Amino acid sequence: MTDSHPEFPPPRFGVGDKVVVKNGPPETHCRTPYYLRGVNGQIIELIGRYQNPSLLAFHKPGLPKLWLYRVRFDQYKIWEQYNGANSDSVVADLYEHWLVPVKEHSNVAP
Amino acid sequence: MQRKVNDVGGLPGEHIDSVDHDATFFEKRIDAMLMLLISPKIKAFSIDALRRTIEENTLDDYTKRGYYEKWLYAIRHLLVEQQILSNEEIDQRITTIMQTKG
Repeated sequence: MTDSHPEFPPPRFGVGDKVVVKNGPPETHCRTPYYLRGVNGQIIELIGRYQNPSLLAFHKPGLPKLWLYRVRFDQYKIWEQYNGANSDSVVADLYEHWLVPVKEHSNVAP
Repeated sequence: MQRKVNDVGGLPGEHIDSVDHDATFFEKRIDAMLMLLISPKIKAFSIDALRRTIEENTLDDYTKRGYYEKWLYAIRHLLVEQQILSNEEIDQRITTIMQTKG
Protein backbone atom coordinates (compact mmCIF):
# COMPACT_ATOMS: atom_id res chain seq x y z
CA MET A 1 0.00 0.00 0.00
CA THR A 2 2.82 2.41 0.83
CA ASP A 3 4.17 4.41 -2.07
CA SER A 4 7.96 4.21 -2.20
CA HIS A 5 8.65 6.42 -5.19
CA PRO A 6 12.11 8.03 -4.64
CA GLU A 7 10.83 11.62 -4.95
CA PHE A 8 8.44 11.08 -2.05
CA PRO A 9 9.78 11.95 1.37
CA PRO A 10 9.80 8.89 3.64
CA PRO A 11 7.30 8.72 6.49
CA ARG A 12 8.34 10.77 9.51
CA PHE A 13 6.88 8.31 12.01
CA GLY A 14 6.84 4.56 12.50
CA VAL A 15 4.56 2.13 14.32
CA GLY A 16 4.94 2.57 18.09
CA ASP A 17 6.05 6.22 17.91
CA LYS A 18 4.47 8.54 20.46
CA VAL A 19 2.99 11.68 18.95
CA VAL A 20 0.89 14.65 19.94
CA VAL A 21 -1.76 16.19 17.67
CA LYS A 22 -1.07 19.85 16.84
CA ASN A 23 -3.27 22.32 18.60
CA GLY A 24 -3.61 24.49 15.53
CA PRO A 25 -6.60 26.06 13.77
CA PRO A 26 -8.46 23.84 11.28
CA GLU A 27 -7.78 23.95 7.56
CA THR A 28 -10.64 25.06 5.30
CA HIS A 29 -11.45 21.39 4.89
CA CYS A 30 -10.17 19.69 8.03
CA ARG A 31 -9.94 15.95 8.68
CA THR A 32 -8.54 16.24 12.21
CA PRO A 33 -11.27 16.37 14.87
CA TYR A 34 -11.18 19.17 17.42
CA TYR A 35 -11.33 16.82 20.41
CA LEU A 36 -7.99 15.22 19.48
CA ARG A 37 -5.97 18.45 19.19
CA GLY A 38 -3.24 18.64 21.79
CA VAL A 39 -3.80 15.02 22.83
CA ASN A 40 -0.98 12.45 23.03
CA GLY A 41 -1.31 9.19 21.13
CA GLN A 42 0.65 6.34 19.61
CA ILE A 43 1.04 5.34 15.96
CA ILE A 44 -0.42 1.87 15.42
CA GLU A 45 -0.30 1.71 11.62
CA LEU A 46 1.18 3.49 8.63
CA ILE A 47 -1.77 3.43 6.24
CA GLY A 48 -0.16 4.94 3.15
CA ARG A 49 0.09 8.10 1.05
CA TYR A 50 -3.06 9.87 -0.04
CA GLN A 51 -3.93 12.95 -2.05
CA ASN A 52 -4.22 16.01 0.18
CA PRO A 53 -7.94 16.40 1.03
CA SER A 54 -7.53 20.17 1.61
CA LEU A 55 -6.53 20.53 -2.05
CA LEU A 56 -8.98 17.93 -3.43
CA ALA A 57 -11.71 19.96 -1.73
CA PHE A 58 -10.94 22.83 -4.15
CA HIS A 59 -10.86 20.73 -7.35
CA LYS A 60 -7.04 20.44 -7.34
CA PRO A 61 -5.10 17.18 -7.89
CA GLY A 62 -4.16 16.97 -4.19
CA LEU A 63 -0.40 16.71 -4.68
CA PRO A 64 2.02 16.19 -3.07
CA LYS A 65 0.41 13.24 -1.36
CA LEU A 66 0.42 13.08 2.43
CA TRP A 67 1.30 10.21 4.74
CA LEU A 68 -1.69 8.96 6.67
CA TYR A 69 -1.34 7.21 10.04
CA ARG A 70 -3.67 5.27 12.30
CA VAL A 71 -3.20 6.70 15.79
CA ARG A 72 -4.48 5.32 19.09
CA PHE A 73 -5.51 7.63 21.94
CA ASP A 74 -6.53 6.86 25.52
CA GLN A 75 -10.09 7.98 26.19
CA TYR A 76 -9.18 9.28 29.65
CA LYS A 77 -6.65 11.66 28.05
CA ILE A 78 -9.32 13.13 25.75
CA TRP A 79 -12.28 13.68 28.05
CA GLU A 80 -12.22 15.38 31.41
CA GLN A 81 -13.55 13.16 34.19
CA TYR A 82 -13.81 10.13 31.89
CA ASN A 83 -15.73 7.39 33.70
CA GLY A 84 -14.83 4.38 31.55
CA ALA A 85 -11.96 1.91 31.84
CA ASN A 86 -8.38 3.21 31.60
CA SER A 87 -7.84 0.85 28.67
CA ASP A 88 -10.64 2.47 26.57
CA SER A 89 -9.27 3.99 23.39
CA VAL A 90 -10.13 5.94 20.27
CA VAL A 91 -8.42 5.22 16.95
CA ALA A 92 -8.23 7.98 14.33
CA ASP A 93 -6.69 8.26 10.86
CA LEU A 94 -4.57 11.43 10.82
CA TYR A 95 -2.32 13.07 8.23
CA GLU A 96 1.35 13.58 9.02
CA HIS A 97 1.31 17.40 9.11
CA TRP A 98 -1.02 17.27 12.13
CA LEU A 99 1.40 15.14 14.19
CA VAL A 100 4.43 16.17 16.23
CA PRO A 101 6.86 13.79 17.98
CA VAL A 102 6.12 13.82 21.70
CA LYS A 103 9.73 14.59 22.66
CA GLU A 104 9.57 17.93 20.79
CA HIS A 105 6.46 18.95 22.71
CA SER A 106 6.86 17.38 26.13
CA ASN A 107 5.11 20.42 27.67
CA VAL A 108 1.89 19.35 25.93
CA ALA A 109 1.98 15.87 27.46
CA PRO A 110 -0.68 15.37 30.12
CA MET B 1 -12.16 29.88 14.63
CA GLN B 2 -10.80 26.69 16.19
CA ARG B 3 -13.74 24.40 15.58
CA LYS B 4 -15.81 24.04 12.44
CA VAL B 5 -19.60 23.61 12.45
CA ASN B 6 -19.40 19.95 11.50
CA ASP B 7 -16.80 19.11 14.14
CA VAL B 8 -19.21 18.32 16.97
CA GLY B 9 -17.48 15.31 18.55
CA GLY B 10 -17.69 15.59 22.35
CA LEU B 11 -20.11 18.53 22.40
CA PRO B 12 -23.25 18.12 24.47
CA GLY B 13 -26.19 17.52 22.14
CA GLU B 14 -29.78 16.43 21.90
CA HIS B 15 -30.82 12.81 22.21
CA ILE B 16 -29.93 10.84 19.08
CA ASP B 17 -32.65 8.65 17.64
CA SER B 18 -30.71 5.48 16.83
CA VAL B 19 -33.67 3.47 15.53
CA ASP B 20 -33.13 2.37 11.93
CA HIS B 21 -35.55 3.64 9.32
CA ASP B 22 -35.87 2.99 5.60
CA ALA B 23 -34.38 5.66 3.35
CA THR B 24 -37.04 7.96 1.93
CA PHE B 25 -37.47 8.46 -1.82
CA PHE B 26 -35.97 11.95 -1.42
CA GLU B 27 -32.91 10.53 0.35
CA LYS B 28 -32.42 7.83 -2.29
CA ARG B 29 -32.61 10.39 -5.09
CA ILE B 30 -30.03 12.67 -3.47
CA ASP B 31 -27.78 9.69 -2.83
CA ALA B 32 -28.06 8.53 -6.44
CA MET B 33 -27.39 12.04 -7.74
CA LEU B 34 -24.22 12.37 -5.67
CA MET B 35 -22.92 8.90 -6.59
CA LEU B 36 -23.31 9.74 -10.29
CA LEU B 37 -21.72 13.20 -9.97
CA ILE B 38 -18.60 11.90 -8.19
CA SER B 39 -18.30 8.75 -10.34
CA PRO B 40 -15.05 8.43 -12.35
CA LYS B 41 -16.92 8.86 -15.64
CA ILE B 42 -18.63 12.12 -14.69
CA LYS B 43 -16.35 13.53 -11.98
CA ALA B 44 -18.24 16.80 -11.60
CA PHE B 45 -16.44 17.27 -8.28
CA SER B 46 -14.86 15.20 -5.52
CA ILE B 47 -16.34 13.93 -2.27
CA ASP B 48 -13.78 16.18 -0.56
CA ALA B 49 -15.34 19.21 -2.25
CA LEU B 50 -18.77 18.08 -1.05
CA ARG B 51 -17.50 17.82 2.53
CA ARG B 52 -15.81 21.23 2.32
CA THR B 53 -19.04 22.82 1.06
CA ILE B 54 -21.05 21.21 3.87
CA GLU B 55 -18.50 22.54 6.37
CA GLU B 56 -19.12 26.04 4.97
CA ASN B 57 -22.71 25.99 6.27
CA THR B 58 -23.47 28.58 8.92
CA LEU B 59 -24.07 27.02 12.34
CA ASP B 60 -27.77 27.80 11.94
CA ASP B 61 -28.03 26.09 8.52
CA TYR B 62 -25.86 23.19 9.65
CA THR B 63 -28.16 22.56 12.61
CA LYS B 64 -31.43 23.15 10.77
CA ARG B 65 -30.73 21.19 7.58
CA GLY B 66 -31.01 17.42 7.54
CA TYR B 67 -28.21 15.12 6.42
CA TYR B 68 -29.33 14.71 2.80
CA GLU B 69 -30.56 18.29 2.69
CA LYS B 70 -26.96 19.40 3.33
CA TRP B 71 -25.87 17.15 0.45
CA LEU B 72 -28.51 18.74 -1.79
CA TYR B 73 -27.44 22.33 -1.03
CA ALA B 74 -23.78 21.35 -1.46
CA ILE B 75 -24.47 19.64 -4.82
CA ARG B 76 -26.22 22.76 -6.07
CA HIS B 77 -23.38 25.02 -4.86
CA LEU B 78 -20.73 22.82 -6.51
CA LEU B 79 -22.55 22.50 -9.84
CA VAL B 80 -22.55 26.30 -10.02
CA GLU B 81 -18.94 26.58 -8.75
CA GLN B 82 -17.83 24.11 -11.43
CA GLN B 83 -19.84 26.06 -14.04
CA ILE B 84 -21.85 22.97 -14.99
CA LEU B 85 -25.14 24.75 -14.28
CA SER B 86 -25.94 28.37 -13.45
CA ASN B 87 -28.14 29.50 -10.58
CA GLU B 88 -30.55 30.90 -13.16
CA GLU B 89 -30.83 27.54 -14.95
CA ILE B 90 -31.49 25.73 -11.67
CA ASP B 91 -34.07 28.29 -10.51
CA GLN B 92 -35.79 28.20 -13.90
CA ARG B 93 -36.02 24.42 -13.79
CA ILE B 94 -37.42 24.50 -10.25
CA THR B 95 -40.06 27.01 -11.37
CA THR B 96 -41.00 24.84 -14.36
CA ILE B 97 -41.34 21.73 -12.19
CA MET B 98 -43.40 23.57 -9.59
CA GLN B 99 -45.75 24.83 -12.33
CA THR B 100 -46.11 21.36 -13.85
CA LYS B 101 -47.00 19.98 -10.45
CA GLY B 102 -49.65 22.70 -10.15
